[in-house]
Amino acid sequence: MTTEQVVSLRQITGGRLQRFQAFTVASLLALAVWQLATLISDGWVPSLWRIMEALGEDASTASIYTDMWITLRRIFVTFAAATSIGIGLGVAMGLNRRVMAFFRPIVVMGLAVPDVVYIIVAILVLGTEESSGLIAMVLALIPFVVNIVVGGVGARDPGLDEMSAVYRLRRLRYLVDVVGWQVSPSLIVATRTCFAFAWKLIVLVEALSQPRGIGAQIYYSFRLLRPDHMIARALLFIVVLRLVEAIIFAPVEKRFLGWMR
Amino acid sequence: MTHSGEYIRVRDLDVSYDGITPAVSALSMDVAEGEFAAVLGPSGCGKSTLLHAISGVVQPQSGTIEIAGLPVGAGRGDDSVPIGYVFQEHRLLPWRTVAQNIAIVLRAAGVADDDVDPRIDHYLEMLHISKFRNTWPLRLSGGQRQRVSIARALAIQPAVVLMDEPFSTLDEVTARVMRQQLADLWQRSNQTIVFVTHSIREALFLAGRIFILTQGPARLFDTIEVSVPRPRRYEDPRLTELEAQIVEHVMDEWGYGANSGEEPRE
Amino acid sequence: MTRSPETTQNLGARLRASWLDLALGALGAGLPVFLWWIGSHTTTFVPPIGEVIRAIPDFVTGEDIWPDVLVTIERVAGSLAIALILGFAAAYVMHRGGLWGRVVDRYVGLMLGVPSTIAALLALYVFKRSEVGVYFVVSIITFPFVALTLLQGLRSADRRLDEMGDVYRLSTPQRLRHVAVPHLVPYTFAAVRNEYAHAWKVVVLAELFAVNSGMGARFARAFDRFRIVDAMLWLIIFMIILLGTEYLLLLPSERRVLRWRGSGMEGNR
Repeated sequence: MTTEQVVSLRQITGGRLQRFQAFTVASLLALAVWQLATLISDGWVPSLWRIMEALGEDASTASIYTDMWITLRRIFVTFAAATSIGIGLGVAMGLNRRVMAFFRPIVVMGLAVPDVVYIIVAILVLGTEESSGLIAMVLALIPFVVNIVVGGVGARDPGLDEMSAVYRLRRLRYLVDVVGWQVSPSLIVATRTCFAFAWKLIVLVEALSQPRGIGAQIYYSFRLLRPDHMIARALLFIVVLRLVEAIIFAPVEKRFLGWMR
Repeated sequence: MTHSGEYIRVRDLDVSYDGITPAVSALSMDVAEGEFAAVLGPSGCGKSTLLHAISGVVQPQSGTIEIAGLPVGAGRGDDSVPIGYVFQEHRLLPWRTVAQNIAIVLRAAGVADDDVDPRIDHYLEMLHISKFRNTWPLRLSGGQRQRVSIARALAIQPAVVLMDEPFSTLDEVTARVMRQQLADLWQRSNQTIVFVTHSIREALFLAGRIFILTQGPARLFDTIEVSVPRPRRYEDPRLTELEAQIVEHVMDEWGYGANSGEEPRE
Repeated sequence: MTRSPETTQNLGARLRASWLDLALGALGAGLPVFLWWIGSHTTTFVPPIGEVIRAIPDFVTGEDIWPDVLVTIERVAGSLAIALILGFAAAYVMHRGGLWGRVVDRYVGLMLGVPSTIAALLALYVFKRSEVGVYFVVSIITFPFVALTLLQGLRSADRRLDEMGDVYRLSTPQRLRHVAVPHLVPYTFAAVRNEYAHAWKVVVLAELFAVNSGMGARFARAFDRFRIVDAMLWLIIFMIILLGTEYLLLLPSERRVLRWRGSGMEGNR
């Protein structure tokens, strides 16, 4: 999947100053375009000023943090379930031809089903409880994880497999020391992709079926025709997600990919 | 030295990876205990496949392989004989240090925990790489990596060491030093070695006996005893003479005969 | 040669293995159907398979679904074309580097993280319930992925150019024609194939929120009226069209165009 390249390719080149420069230009340009859109849309697109106001308002309400917490928790639950199932299944498929033959069609179909449909079907079949949306999310996320992990396992060095066979490494040793380390870059890509997709999906799940959570809040503002709050809430949560990424993912990544540099 | 023993006994071996095209065909050969045997054949003839079969990684279609009277690859359990393997590339785990790489195969071979470290030290010393004990393989030169790979193969104290063109990717000077050291090492240890190569000179320099294979699918074409006394010199004129004879001898069989009209291929 | 018995035996073994793979694959494909069957027998709200299957002929021959199907196909194709153009442009600028390369890189990074739901809701404000909104959402969501795939192509084409150009002393137009373009073709195919499926999924979502026509809108209607059979039928049609076009149209044409390369593009699937 192309998302694999997200991590490997987006290496921002240049020094600190150049990056800051690029960031400033990008932000200013985006703000200018936004303001222009505000002008030509007769106020349907909220002005920057109104978004700032809404941002300040939302950031000072306590309930938004409850919503954020609810959403974060949902993201983590689905993320944990989808990555562990997806990685397990992906490794099994990558190592065993029969497992691969059995699950391949399911994964292909799973990738083809639109996320909306997972959620709609889950709600129709299981009801509007929180769990049905989360199950739908896990089901929608697993194929992506599997796909990336299978690719990683398949790309392992056959020479090291032979070496392991000749020297009769035990199954567990082989899995951890030979397969595990080779697959670790793709495992990191898989977890990152899964996390990013979980955020994209939770908005939909909450919009369609949940009364609480940041996605529900975004949808709520949308229905009340308050685009300024809608954007403000999305922005606030994106900041939180970036923080989570910086605190949790970056150090883990550094630790596991250290030997390659 | 006499080669009466049948330490490694290969009989009517047929190997094929896909079940259709044979890589090794009706091959029989014997290697004695403590012998340094070279297997010589043109590129792509199935030499490596033969080693795969002897190591038990590949199941032969038919035929038998025994080492020290035990069938190879039958159970692939702990009861079959341990085999050291030096590949063309080092095949070390890049995320493990030199010592850890050796420790992993030692543990898999059932070496007691207390013996692991002394063994590593011993074999690193033997191959003059003690100072790289805690270095990652990617930081070593090609020759150093191959030394680690040889140390790993010897450290499990195997019944036989299989070597698959281990020096072919090294520069010529390094390769010569390594060949010399391997020859010395063998003379001291009398380890049984099966050494695959496409270099006639390398085979002559190292081996006591050369098994010459045909073009693929590999069959045994001829066996040659190398009676040049050790220690040998790589430039020894006797080796040059033998090399010329062997080239003459295999010319037809390797596809460059007068009537074959084929261009030499690499 | 006296080894024919073994050879036939081995051939038999291989055939058996591939049959086993096929059988396992069929079994795997049957698993969701089996789960559905269990569901329909143990619960009241999952419709029996038979009912849905019996409804298929009427559903497919009914005139009422095809306008929606066609309009969705049109939107997928149109926005994919836009995404390709945008992606090409972005990849080119990113590849050239410099300030603007980094600026575009920022945008691509930002766009990768935008949930389609939010894009769809925003599009509603900007474009109201117009067709443009759907095109906007689908192309804006898919183009960053196209850009990254093509960027990868440009980078590896660079390496090739350096290797070959130096040896053969090609002129710049020659380099472009003989090295860069052929090298980009597989990456373009990869981008199209990956984003094709992605575009289908996004279009359904955009239609669900933003317009009253297309397959996504029909899904929404089935959902609103709690009609599971309809939702299932639309899902089946959707999968048939998506997988059908992907495997019968895109993959074969890619193979045809890229047959000179021998093997498929590794690690891009």
